Amino acid sequence: MKKRLALILVLCFSLTLLITGCGSKTDTPKDTGTQTPTATDKSFQTIKDKGYFTLGLDDAFPPMGFREEGTNEIVGFDIDLAKEAAARMGVEVKFQPVIWDTIIEELNGGNIDVIWNGCTINPKRQAQIAFTKPYIADKQIIVVKKGSTLADKKALVGKKVGIQAASSAIEAVEKDTATFKSLGELVQFDNNVDALLDLKSGRIDAVVVDEVVGRYYLAKHAEDYQVLTENFGEEDFGVGVRKSDVTFLNELQKALDAMKADGTSAKVSQKWFGEDILK
Amino acid sequence: MYRLTAFKQSACKFDKGFIMDYLTSLLPFMLEGTAITLKLFFLTLIMMLPFGVVLALGRLSKLKPLSVTTQFYIWVFRGTPLLLQLLFIYFGLGIIGINIDRFTAAVVAFVLNYTAYLAEVYRSGIQSIDLGQFEAADVLGLSRWQTLSRIILPQMVKRVLPPISNEVINLIKDTSLVYAIGITELLRVAKIAAVRDMLFVPFIAAAIFYLVMTAVIQQTFKWLEYRYAYYR
Repeated sequence: MKKRLALILVLCFSLTLLITGCGSKTDTPKDTGTQTPTATDKSFQTIKDKGYFTLGLDDAFPPMGFREEGTNEIVGFDIDLAKEAAARMGVEVKFQPVIWDTIIEELNGGNIDVIWNGCTINPKRQAQIAFTKPYIADKQIIVVKKGSTLADKKALVGKKVGIQAASSAIEAVEKDTATFKSLGELVQFDNNVDALLDLKSGRIDAVVVDEVVGRYYLAKHAEDYQVLTENFGEEDFGVGVRKSDVTFLNELQKALDAMKADGTSAKVSQKWFGEDILK
Repeated sequence: MYRLTAFKQSACKFDKGFIMDYLTSLLPFMLEGTAITLKLFFLTLIMMLPFGVVLALGRLSKLKPLSVTTQFYIWVFRGTPLLLQLLFIYFGLGIIGINIDRFTAAVVAFVLNYTAYLAEVYRSGIQSIDLGQFEAADVLGLSRWQTLSRIILPQMVKRVLPPISNEVINLIKDTSLVYAIGITELLRVAKIAAVRDMLFVPFIAAAIFYLVMTAVIQQTFKWLEYRYAYYR
């Protein structure tokens, strides 16, 4: 009898767990900005009321946003800018690590309020989210192994080129139709480091990567890599917000403009890149 | 071009002392990741074990609609990748307005998935028991419930322990999939460090963590099998 009772108890207990687990679905606070678009846009008010906005980032993306060695704190160029901008808007900023591939779903689903993570402005993304004005000009550089005989894009004919999946580097390469068609294979990696490590071991011939990111690794392993003078074109980084969050976007832009005007952003750039690379 | 002053100090040298220091600095964060991994593991475990029995009984039920529904459920959740189910429950439901937090979504996906596998394991256990025992119980005047709870299920538990240990070991490793919905578990912690420092060492550390956990699971099941080995 006791055993049966125990069994029933266990079942009830587990069931309650599941039900309460599911119950919290509906309780999750939702950003009102996402539900009532433009005409009655209260996105900035909502964030003021909350007292913070949530910044989504791939926390394995140095030097824009990553975990500092030793402390595990999220640091980076974008992080410093975001903290400053938040302070000027009178709110806090919270960080939510997400996966790059799904970052736009995270934003439009209301899990995060901004994408501030070295995000390139391009038409495909502009169709889904709104951007601030560009704050950095970047280019897609071509990295090869030290001592490689590959000298320019033409030399890439039939070669294997590594690239980060879902990155704007892919579009930059595809835009250069002639080169893109001549490539042997475009190998997509989870992140730039995997691509660079594969390059080092000689299984691929070149890697196309954002300059700001590529230079970070190249500075660490200068003995393994070299950069070609040719590149796959310039592009701009912007901060992404939901299309419906117009007032929030305006306030953010105001803060960014002010930071640029008084030289704060330039100082942050000096700290991370040793020079002013602001747009 | 860029002078990258901020990074120079973190340039790394390869010597034993460096690797030991590096691992020591990594340890607290690996432990934090392990805590998340274990939390997901235990929550899934305590729910999947009883739910699996319920589902197995449903699958074996003489009620056609019930058995067909459970078969359909098992087909769907065994028939699609767990990673896909995670994305569906977190992002897919988000699109239609059901916002679950990350961790709850992970637990729901894992329980739904693993219950389907366990149901089949339990079913094999129940069906492996000689039909004569059902008949004998019937002759003795035991009710269906009594037959099940007193005779069949206790024997079933003994027989399914080895396949269940398989599933439980799989579970601890599968927890690494939740990185896809932005949860920083053990493997993700290692990945973040590996990407930041361009080192492979964090992955080796993560492998050791997983091996320790699976060793504990293995020993636990060994002990359980020993304990349930009566009448043998």
